[in-house]
Amino acid sequence: MRLQVRTKLSDDSTSRLLRTGCLMALCLMLLSAAALAQDKPKRPTVENDMFRFSLMPRTAEQMAGFYEGRGFPSAALQLIKQTCFITAVFRNKSDRVIWLELDNWRIVTAQGEVKRLDRAYWKQQWQRIHLPLADQSTFGWTLLPEVRDLQPHEPVGGNLVLPPLQQPFTLKAFFTTGKDKRGTGINVEFRNIQCARDNKPS
Amino acid sequence: MNRVRVILLAVCCYAASAASDEAAIPRGIIVLPADEAPSLVLKDLDGKPFDLKAQRGHWVFVHFWASWCGPCRKEMPTIQQMADQLKSDKFSIVLVNTAEDDDRAFSFMGIVAPELTPLMDYDGQTTERWQPRGLPSTFLIDPQGRRRFLALGGRKWDDPEYLGFLRHLIGTQ
Repeated sequence: MRLQVRTKLSDDSTSRLLRTGCLMALCLMLLSAAALAQDKPKRPTVENDMFRFSLMPRTAEQMAGFYEGRGFPSAALQLIKQTCFITAVFRNKSDRVIWLELDNWRIVTAQGEVKRLDRAYWKQQWQRIHLPLADQSTFGWTLLPEVRDLQPHEPVGGNLVLPPLQQPFTLKAFFTTGKDKRGTGINVEFRNIQCARDNKPS
Repeated sequence: MNRVRVILLAVCCYAASAASDEAAIPRGIIVLPADEAPSLVLKDLDGKPFDLKAQRGHWVFVHFWASWCGPCRKEMPTIQQMADQLKSDKFSIVLVNTAEDDDRAFSFMGIVAPELTPLMDYDGQTTERWQPRGLPSTFLIDPQGRRRFLALGGRKWDDPEYLGFLRHLIGTQ
């Protein structure tokens, strides 16, 4: 068993731990106050016997705050603030495989289809500003996977990133089912979704 | 007639045995095709080097996590509880922090699981090679160094069904 017990904490370590604990408590208090001050966020959800699928539009400040807290440099935060983040959470409630494939999703406004900002787009941006690999990795793990064969009862969550949209849009998601993708397809449509804006209820 | 009875009995025994094996795998654990695990050579939070290859001969629990991930915060204390209950030289627990620094990992572990020491994948590239299905993710590596099982998302590793499953693996190697 490769376990080690930290029995001797140095004074520095102890005070660092205490400081971190105090900071975390303060942050929790501030977050609770902020949550109470806001209206309950809207979470468009579709649920049936096979799956539960929810969307949560995030504001630019929420997202920048998250990545700033992870040490992302300001150049990256500026890029993040210029986009629209929608957190998607999907749970396969069935006993068969459901395929999440982002290429089968469409974002449509009154003006036409909008291209999402995919991993290739972000890779290009991060390389341009020389974002450290660790930050690129963290960012990648917060995005929805491009393809995932969701096993029975498996959940998946992550961000879908769009260009900043001023007008409402419709998200049309199509899922294939079964190990060989030959099962009944699932169409889900979320209408009238809007990118969240700061200082306004989303 | 007797021969038929013997064959039927054998078939029943085989079916019961297969059912028992299946029942030993809790929901949310999937069986992998037993491919060789990618390399895992990292230093832990104390700077001590680790190489997965040196663990051949027993089962290894390889868990990928990050402090920003909500389910990781819930799951990690249950890993510590599980570790306390499964102390054995036939089983190793390896926690891989993905792309964070020492301060963040130390602060997180100090609060949720102070007795466990994670390996540090500072640039996240080891995690990229392993391609877990998001964070948290856990692979169970068999004594031959093959990826045999994958736990989907977070779970309570100190629940009897998971403890029983892990004990079963450790006991049948």
